[in-house]
Amino acid sequence: MFKLPRPKMNGRNSVQPVGTLLSVLCVATAIDIGAGWLLGRPGFGSHARIIFALLPIPANLALVAVIVRRIRKLDEFLRHVHLEAVAIAFLLTGLAVFVYGYLQKAQAVRPLNVGIVWIFMAVFYGIGYVIAVRYYR
Amino acid sequence: MKNRLRVLRAEKNWTQAQLAEIVGVSRQAIIAVENGKYDPALPLAFKLARAFGKNVEEVFVWEVDPLQDGSL
Repeated sequence: MFKLPRPKMNGRNSVQPVGTLLSVLCVATAIDIGAGWLLGRPGFGSHARIIFALLPIPANLALVAVIVRRIRKLDEFLRHVHLEAVAIAFLLTGLAVFVYGYLQKAQAVRPLNVGIVWIFMAVFYGIGYVIAVRYYR
Repeated sequence: MKNRLRVLRAEKNWTQAQLAEIVGVSRQAIIAVENGKYDPALPLAFKLARAFGKNVEEVFVWEVDPLQDGSL
């Protein structure tokens, strides 16, 4: 029998430990909330408010880096599944924002809070992931 | 593309998890390949074939010969 190289990952550890991801996510979320809280308070000058607005960027960039590292550790099949989930999330979020924009023009809904777009993306990503997993099962 | 993964795995008496461990992928990947839902890329196809001591053509079978159906 041919000798295969030592596997880099297996069925059990195909999902990498989530400790780092959750830690960075918690820190990023805390900074997001903190920045939002500071921006909601009166008494700060315009320079300070700009700094508060930009405060979440480093932690969120770290979150992106952690997610990209996790994706690179996935095997080709799981990457394929996540790619489909991302594609579905991208398209459905675009559609949702498009529809919301027209409803806004029709004055049927209030102006869109841009923070909600992130929630759309996350929910549609979850839906896309479930669709992809079910398809390949 | 068809494959004989399930038959070869049964002959070796390996579980999907064991095969996944040997070739270094997730169990979901093995399930998807076995069910014909996912065609692996060449490196994984070679690894799977090598795990059974076979050539790629002995594990994966192109249903229509691309040289004969004019697609190449």
